[in-house]
Amino acid sequence: MRKTKSKYRVLETLSPILGVLASVLVLLVIAMIIGEMPGKTLNAIYKFTLASASRLSTIFSVAIPLFLAGLAVAVAFQANVFNIGVEGQYFVGGLVGAMAGIYLRLPVYLHLPVVVLASMAGGALWAAIPALLKVRMGIHEVITTIMFNNIAAALVNFLVNGPLSGRGEKSLEPQTLKIQSTALFGKLNHWFNAIGLKVPKHVYLDYSLIVAIVMGFLVWFLLYRLRQGFEIRAVGTSLEVSQYAGIRVKRVQMTAFLASGSLAGLIGLQEIFAIRGVYTFEIAAGLGFDGIAIALIGGNSPVGVIFSSVLFAFFKQAGYGLQLYTAVPNAIIYVISGLMILFIVVINEVTTRYIRALRRKEAA
Amino acid sequence: MTLLKMDGITKVFPGVRANDQVTFDLAPGEIHALVGENGAGKTTLMKILYGLYRPDSGTIRLRDQAVAIKNPRDAIARGIGMVHQHFMLVPPFSVLENIILGKESQTAGVLRLEEPAREITEIMNRNGLPVDLTARVEDLPVGLQQRVEILKVLYRGAEVLVFDEPTAVLTPQEVVELFKTFRMMRDQGKGLIFISHKLDEVLDIADRITVIRRGQVVKTLLRAEASKPLIAELMVGKPVFLHVDKPPAAPGAVILEVRGLRQRSPRGHLVLEDLSLEVRAGEIYGLAGVEGNGQSELVRAITEAVRLESGDVLLEEQSILAWDVRTRRDRGIGHIPEDRHRYGLLLPFSLAENLVLGRHHRSPFVRGSVVDFARMRAYARESIEKYDIRTPSELTPAHALSGGNQQKLIVAREMRFDPILLVASQPTRGVDVGATEFIYQQLVEARSRGKAVLLVSADLDEVLSLSDRIGVIFKGRIIREFRQEEATKEQVGLCMTGEKRSA
Repeated sequence: MRKTKSKYRVLETLSPILGVLASVLVLLVIAMIIGEMPGKTLNAIYKFTLASASRLSTIFSVAIPLFLAGLAVAVAFQANVFNIGVEGQYFVGGLVGAMAGIYLRLPVYLHLPVVVLASMAGGALWAAIPALLKVRMGIHEVITTIMFNNIAAALVNFLVNGPLSGRGEKSLEPQTLKIQSTALFGKLNHWFNAIGLKVPKHVYLDYSLIVAIVMGFLVWFLLYRLRQGFEIRAVGTSLEVSQYAGIRVKRVQMTAFLASGSLAGLIGLQEIFAIRGVYTFEIAAGLGFDGIAIALIGGNSPVGVIFSSVLFAFFKQAGYGLQLYTAVPNAIIYVISGLMILFIVVINEVTTRYIRALRRKEAA
Repeated sequence: MTLLKMDGITKVFPGVRANDQVTFDLAPGEIHALVGENGAGKTTLMKILYGLYRPDSGTIRLRDQAVAIKNPRDAIARGIGMVHQHFMLVPPFSVLENIILGKESQTAGVLRLEEPAREITEIMNRNGLPVDLTARVEDLPVGLQQRVEILKVLYRGAEVLVFDEPTAVLTPQEVVELFKTFRMMRDQGKGLIFISHKLDEVLDIADRITVIRRGQVVKTLLRAEASKPLIAELMVGKPVFLHVDKPPAAPGAVILEVRGLRQRSPRGHLVLEDLSLEVRAGEIYGLAGVEGNGQSELVRAITEAVRLESGDVLLEEQSILAWDVRTRRDRGIGHIPEDRHRYGLLLPFSLAENLVLGRHHRSPFVRGSVVDFARMRAYARESIEKYDIRTPSELTPAHALSGGNQQKLIVAREMRFDPILLVASQPTRGVDVGATEFIYQQLVEARSRGKAVLLVSADLDEVLSLSDRIGVIFKGRIIREFRQEEATKEQVGLCMTGEKRSA
């Protein structure tokens, strides 16, 4: 048994790697058509991703919010809930967190957890309305969450320009007041340096990394160790079987939706509390949508999402490298990410069927 | 000349011979009825004809020419049309759009509508099938939607038309209209295959009747030689009692009481009509009936919260109507569902997880909220041993098991939860003989342990062999109850067709 199981494992892990390789191959072909030799393309990617400690650690820095985004989407997907609203949830979550960071006066050891919890609450709040509409009225969450993304953008824009604007702060873009120093996220770089991993000063490996690690573990524990997680996965596998087994499906979907929203609220932590120290409408957009791709590639599992978010960060950085050193436009990276998802999904499906056939043979 | 001849058709699925040397023919201008219990092999035969399955052996001849039907498209091209029980229509499309869908004609990319509309109108007039071509399908009553289905088939030039239980969804008036159309089509020389459970209708409309049982043709009768008792007998066959060792019944207190249940389908038909029954501790109550007479609705009313017009369901004298599934399970209702793949198993989950499903929220499988996987696996190993589930390990996913073992898994789960009432719905459907016998033993075992067992099955032999009392359900009510000793297969079989008096 052990042996056969590891045989399947190898196949299962091999399939996403094949997908990545296939998409890199396509990238090289496209670059050649544009007029860049594969060697030069690969070199450009290498220089911007793996060539130095600075580049390498930047990938992990970029991966932190992507990981949280992927995790948020994955939790919902596990319960068969399509939370397309992670985008709006992190805008609102980030703002609520920032408010706690600006207006509450607390000692550091309280202020930091409070802003994290406030961000989660904000994200959950923004998820709660579509979640209620889904379980109470049966309105599909894809529609409501997409609309709520737009509403969130407009609401946040209004608040930052109006009631919550930090008048008097010198800035070209509308922003809030500065977050108090007690709530700012410091860097962990010296920790890494202490254990011999070189992380240059300018790279943001900040407290949000701790949050990401804790959340990753909590989600894993929820899904694979808690009864509630068992029910989430059961509902995601079959609504009918879950109902038959007495699982309270609506409650489970509500839980997963709110958990997803809470995690979404954390996506902005790094940018707001570590990088900018202020909330602005200009915080990076689109991470919620990246999260969908990351969750898919990571097979909706926390461990898978670690790999896929790092992979995504790698490709993001590779895109800048291409932009800088070759004639290949940065935007090509979006094409490649898309292809990667396609390849991985297809290859994954093929191997899953193959494994299923093998298992059946074994059981027969 | 024959229009269609299927000869020696055999189709084997793992563990089941769905069709075994089936021979079936159809003349032009004939309505040929195909009858048999559920699972007898009618649908398989028709799926072979329509190109959905390939037969393992046997030949199909159309107008005396041997053909190999590769897929439904091929079947349609050869003039075979199928009117499915569940309509294949696009609800927001108009009638015209639905009919031409898949056979659209166009001029430079623009859809041509007038010409097909004329042609379809002509078909409507010839066959007595008037429908407003501009109406949206979702606005039409079921009877008219069915007409659209028939028109679709006729528009594609079908000569052989298969009707899979077309009357199941119709009102009596709509059935009269449908049969008028049947006769008009017959008079134009088309061949009709009519699948139905309703013997009155079969006798009303068919020219010939073929009875299938357990994958084999029992007999093909001319209308003149057929009668209701004869067909009923052929359908259920000579009594073949599987050997079941059953100690005498010692019924105790009433466990389940169903009182005057009344329920309407979403379409407004009465599906349960003042249905009442009682099941006692230590008793197997068998529900016999032709499928679709309210069995599923009754089971749902017992196992989950549904909307009822009136009536009550009591478990140990306590009304359970307000309880959700979890409460019902917690209070001791076990349920073997009729469709194990759809309801019974989380197929990608391990055997161990499936074995605790429904009780996974309770001790000993969780401590607080944390799942105790070690306990779960130990429990699973015990169950595998005790219920002889053939599997490489307790961590094997459920989809890797054979049908019989999947069903044993479900039976093991529900039995080990130690319910006071066990509802077993089609417990041996699609299960091999070995597993069937084992499941029978388990049901008898449940009875010996003082549980109330409600057995719902389309297999009359099964009901008769196992049950202490038998209730016959017809059109949503129990029309007669038998004690096992007084029940004969002929009597119960006839009763299932709605005849209360014994023949």
